[in-house]
Amino acid sequence: MTLAHQATLIARKDLLIEVRGRHAVGTLVPFAATVLVSFGFAFGPGRDLLERVAPGLLWMAVLFSAVMASRRAYQTESEDGALEGLLLAPIDKAAVFLGKAFAVTVELLALVVVVLLLVIVLFDLSVANPFLLLAAFVLGAIGLAAVGSLFGVVAESARTREAVFPLLVLPLVAPVLIAGVRATDLAAAGRSSEVLSWLGLLAAFDVVFLSVGVLVFGYLLED
Amino acid sequence: MRTLRRSPTGLKDAAVDLRGVTRLFGAAPALVRVDLAIERGEAVVLRGPNGAGKSTLLRIVATALSPTYGGGSVLGFDLAEAPEEIRRRSELLTHRTRLYEELTARENLELFADLLGIHHDLVHGALERMALADVADERVRTFSAGMRQKVAVARVIVRDPELLLLDEPTIGLDDAARTAVDEMMLHASREGRTLVIATHQAVALGLAARVVTLRDGYVEAGS
Repeated sequence: MTLAHQATLIARKDLLIEVRGRHAVGTLVPFAATVLVSFGFAFGPGRDLLERVAPGLLWMAVLFSAVMASRRAYQTESEDGALEGLLLAPIDKAAVFLGKAFAVTVELLALVVVVLLLVIVLFDLSVANPFLLLAAFVLGAIGLAAVGSLFGVVAESARTREAVFPLLVLPLVAPVLIAGVRATDLAAAGRSSEVLSWLGLLAAFDVVFLSVGVLVFGYLLED
Repeated sequence: MRTLRRSPTGLKDAAVDLRGVTRLFGAAPALVRVDLAIERGEAVVLRGPNGAGKSTLLRIVATALSPTYGGGSVLGFDLAEAPEEIRRRSELLTHRTRLYEELTARENLELFADLLGIHHDLVHGALERMALADVADERVRTFSAGMRQKVAVARVIVRDPELLLLDEPTIGLDDAARTAVDEMMLHASREGRTLVIATHQAVALGLAARVVTLRDGYVEAGS
């Protein structure tokens, strides 16, 4: 059985659990919406200011949601010792990493659609080049999911995993946040040629963390 | 890597052959210099009070844990060098069922069957044998502890491993579920599988050819 087939089985399982558990709908969307509305109140009613900070708020909401989604992906594994079951299954452990990263990416992209609509309505964000914006979110979501899936298994072994996980993940995904905000800002302004370099940074980040995950996940999963 | 070694008791191709295995958790020893040889096809019961090291020993044989010192082979494969080969041929059954609550019993079994390349017909047969066919399409979160354990036993039947490691598999179960576990053990033993069981029940069944007693991490008798 190929790595891709095993990863697909893990991703399908994770997505099925998420759909049935309604975690994304019940937790992530309300959380992201609350973050946006709270920041909106904090910045006040000035339309110019809100338009300027909208890309940053959008990515902050996605970032915090990515942390929650990645933690959730491992909570379901730890509920009844299922993660040990995956460890003891004679499969390529990289498939577990890739499957989880893919499932979290899909969840984040579904969330982005809702969050983006909210930002357009609440902060009057106009998007001159939606295709570049889409590319930024796809690449950004992959990067966030890769880091979250990699360090989720590290945090799983920590007694204070709820605190440890964001401390591990948030500093590492700073490049995604910076590149994502800049790409969104430039795509909204229609400065397409300038967006590409930030998309390149996001793509490089994805390649690095997906490669690291494939190489080291098996070792991290072992005791 | 296949490594045929002479065990401490002189077995040329032992199912389990541990030499000087010590496992520390922090500074606390869970197992101390354990030598243990088990023949293929043998049924061995591990006994001892809580904290004696029975679970740690089973998890080391299953390659869920690695020894801090010492080593050995399982089914002819070195613990450190070929854990995936051992995992391919063994199954660890504990009171933690490693099931996904949001998946149905059938989906849980089919997931592992798919990952291991096992035909779904065997899943159907195992569900029938464990009298789970009527509830096979209900989510596991609606199941009692006994029914969950029966699903876990069905997973063992699907895999039909050469080496079966059971850690108090009947703890907290009702009579029907306990009978299901006992029948599975008897069947596996009759089929020539190697069984290592941490329980008191198997002795009463007359299944065990040998009893190994552990106390404070040391093998007290029966190695």
